[in-house]
Amino acid sequence: MNMLKMILLIFLFVNYAHADKPYVDDKLLNKITKKYKLFAKKRFLSLQNILDINKNSQDTEKLEAVNDFFNEVRYSSDIKLYKKNDYWATPWEFLGKDKGDCEDYVISKYFALLYLGMDSKKLFFTYVRSTKFKAPHMVLTYFKTPRSEPLILDNNNRKIFPASKRKDLLPIYNFNGDSLYKASKTGTGKKLKQIKSHKKWDELKFNMKRKKI
Amino acid sequence: MTLFKQIALLLSLFLLIILATVLALNFKSANKSVQERLYEDAKNTASSLSLSLGSANGDISMMSTMINANFDSGTYSYISLKDIDDALVYERRSESTIADVPEWFLDIVNIEAPFASAQVSAGWNPIGILYVQSDDTYAYNQLYTILKDLLISFSILAASGLIILNLLLHTILKPLKRVQLQAEALIRNEFITQDKIPYTKEFKDVVIGMNSMVSKVKTMFDKGNEELKKQKELDYIDQTTKLKNRKYLVHKLPEYLKIDASSKGGINMMIAFSGVVEANTKLGHQNVDKLFVEMANIFKAYASNYKNSIVARMNGTEFIILLPDCSDIDGLELAHGIHDSVKNIFTEYGLDTKKTFISIGLYEYNYMQRIGELLSLTDYALAQAKFSSENIHLDKADEVLEVMGKEAWRKTINKALELNRFSFTSWTAIDIKKKKIAHNVLSISMKSDDDIVYSYGQFMAPANQAGLSSAIYSNIINSMFKIPDMRLAGSTSSLRLSYEYLDQRDTYDELFSLFKEYASKLPFKLIIEVPDKLMRQNSKQIKLYKALFEKYNIEMGVFEFIGESQDYQYLQDLRPVYIQGESSYFLSLSEQSLSALRLITDTLDISLIAGGVMDMQTLGKLKEKDITIIQGKATEMVEL
Repeated sequence: MNMLKMILLIFLFVNYAHADKPYVDDKLLNKITKKYKLFAKKRFLSLQNILDINKNSQDTEKLEAVNDFFNEVRYSSDIKLYKKNDYWATPWEFLGKDKGDCEDYVISKYFALLYLGMDSKKLFFTYVRSTKFKAPHMVLTYFKTPRSEPLILDNNNRKIFPASKRKDLLPIYNFNGDSLYKASKTGTGKKLKQIKSHKKWDELKFNMKRKKI
Repeated sequence: MTLFKQIALLLSLFLLIILATVLALNFKSANKSVQERLYEDAKNTASSLSLSLGSANGDISMMSTMINANFDSGTYSYISLKDIDDALVYERRSESTIADVPEWFLDIVNIEAPFASAQVSAGWNPIGILYVQSDDTYAYNQLYTILKDLLISFSILAASGLIILNLLLHTILKPLKRVQLQAEALIRNEFITQDKIPYTKEFKDVVIGMNSMVSKVKTMFDKGNEELKKQKELDYIDQTTKLKNRKYLVHKLPEYLKIDASSKGGINMMIAFSGVVEANTKLGHQNVDKLFVEMANIFKAYASNYKNSIVARMNGTEFIILLPDCSDIDGLELAHGIHDSVKNIFTEYGLDTKKTFISIGLYEYNYMQRIGELLSLTDYALAQAKFSSENIHLDKADEVLEVMGKEAWRKTINKALELNRFSFTSWTAIDIKKKKIAHNVLSISMKSDDDIVYSYGQFMAPANQAGLSSAIYSNIINSMFKIPDMRLAGSTSSLRLSYEYLDQRDTYDELFSLFKEYASKLPFKLIIEVPDKLMRQNSKQIKLYKALFEKYNIEMGVFEFIGESQDYQYLQDLRPVYIQGESSYFLSLSEQSLSALRLITDTLDISLIAGGVMDMQTLGKLKEKDITIIQGKATEMVEL
């Protein structure tokens, strides 16, 4: 009985401790509210709610929840939003504006999943060619194991499908900034001074570090 | 170290540090840029090659071939492919290539070519990671070239910078040099006013300050000079006839009555005017004064033929004409001439020449006589004249008893010159206020064949008569420099040189070559005493001597000063260390005259020395007048 009480207490403590680290902290949330108004705040609170609910879910449930949440955001091109041909928005800009293009969906999904405790090695930013739209596109791919068939989290096709079901997409290049950097750092036997791994990724990491909203 | 050197050193150091820092930062930046370039190259290769490898669909042989092709065509030191489990699939590593740079450069500069990586996929699946590292040989070569270029440009910059700095400092500190020269001149009591006022505020203030100080000191000096000139008029000049007065004569006579006087004797003529009451009654005071002026003109006219003659009015009715080197015959002839001329004037004025006449007493003096003796004997001759029919009477001094005859002296002196038998004896000038020796006064003595030592007073008069005095000075001054007396080492000693010796044409050249060779080795500080008679001429000759003495660190002193100059500018120009006058001169000076003299000497930092102080009573009187450096017998009575 005592043991059960202790386990329960630990569980509560862990939950409490985690509750102290929201996906978006209060300070940042205040700034987002100030810039993007009250609805934006509500979107972030809603996201936090979904993330909290799925904290201990299976990977597939996490993927579903995150994919569904972000696919509700409206698509808009970078040139319209940021006056740039190609811009990787931070998750705060994306949800704050409630608009973005394919890379922005991928980025926000990726970091939300990492927040839910998913291993970064399982997730890849995949450059694909959409045969349907005959245009370059980006999706987030999930690999249960390195050699298993990936699941595709797409903003055009809102449902998650295995890669084999997505004949409309032609994979070109997989990319994961975090694991690439880790690999570069440890895989050569030499200490790497450079922390750059991918131009756009590096730019994004920099913007996230300075909490760009 | 001068201010210029300090500033130059500091700024040069500063400049070099800045340049070195900029060079180091430039090189560091170049190093960083080269390394970034290496990474960018590697990254580009990794990205493009990873995309190519994706098309191989996991065929290792195909991927190896692609890697080989890339590795061989580019400058890479390492390319490898690892699978998703981090197991090595294929790698190429270059043999170490040696960059064309010196060993020290390789030791100092450590270039680490960064690894770039890219994911390789086959279809949807990642199959591994590609690692690319560029070859650093190129980077070393490029950096070494950059370093050389930087060093060359910075050396040129540093050299130009230092040259410009030097020129700038010279320009900026140029006024300071002038300020320094002005300050040095002030230390030497030279009053230079700087006309060029520097632009730099601090220098400007200093120059203006010094100019103002110089101006004030100069004003003080000028005031003293003017005052002394005025006092001289009052002290030494008879206001009616503008002739010298009794005081002047008494102060001047020691120059004529001394062992080494240039003249050995002559005629001292005393003229007395009789019948002044009658003249006053008949002509009135004003006309009688005019008569005196005309008489004075006659006396001056007759005396003018004799070099160094003195015409002085002793009192209301008596005059003295001192005629050095005048014989008794010439003296009598001159007396008759004066008598007749004055008689004519009396006639012109309508005076009765039986009641109004002059009497002339002549006394043939020699240099051995004392002033009192000379005046009383001349007075006696005048008394005789008054009773003589012609009103003219001549008396002669007794023959001087010499130790030996003229010819014997000549031989003895010549022998002593030949065998260098002149040496120095010294006595002291004492500063009674500081109770210490001010300096040693050197006197010359001579040893004869039979070992008799003759003092300056004994041999100098016959030497003068024999025309050998300059030879003696020359001999003694040569000995002084060539074989210096080591007993004087560390002291300050003065040597008196005569007017005749200094005035000689060859003396300057002789002293010049002597100083040039030996002055630096002289073990004591030398003051050469020059007679005021020569100093006050302020001639080109005396200025040459001054420059010569100054060049060899020899000071100048003045002796036989009685303040008879028309202008005391020469004291400022020649800046003697001291002025030596007879104690009687200083004691007879009026308070105004002494304070005017003091104003001049204090301004120029000149000491006053009283000579011939024989007793404590005189010493006490001098002390009251604040004349505290003395020479003479009394120095033996002062406790140091």
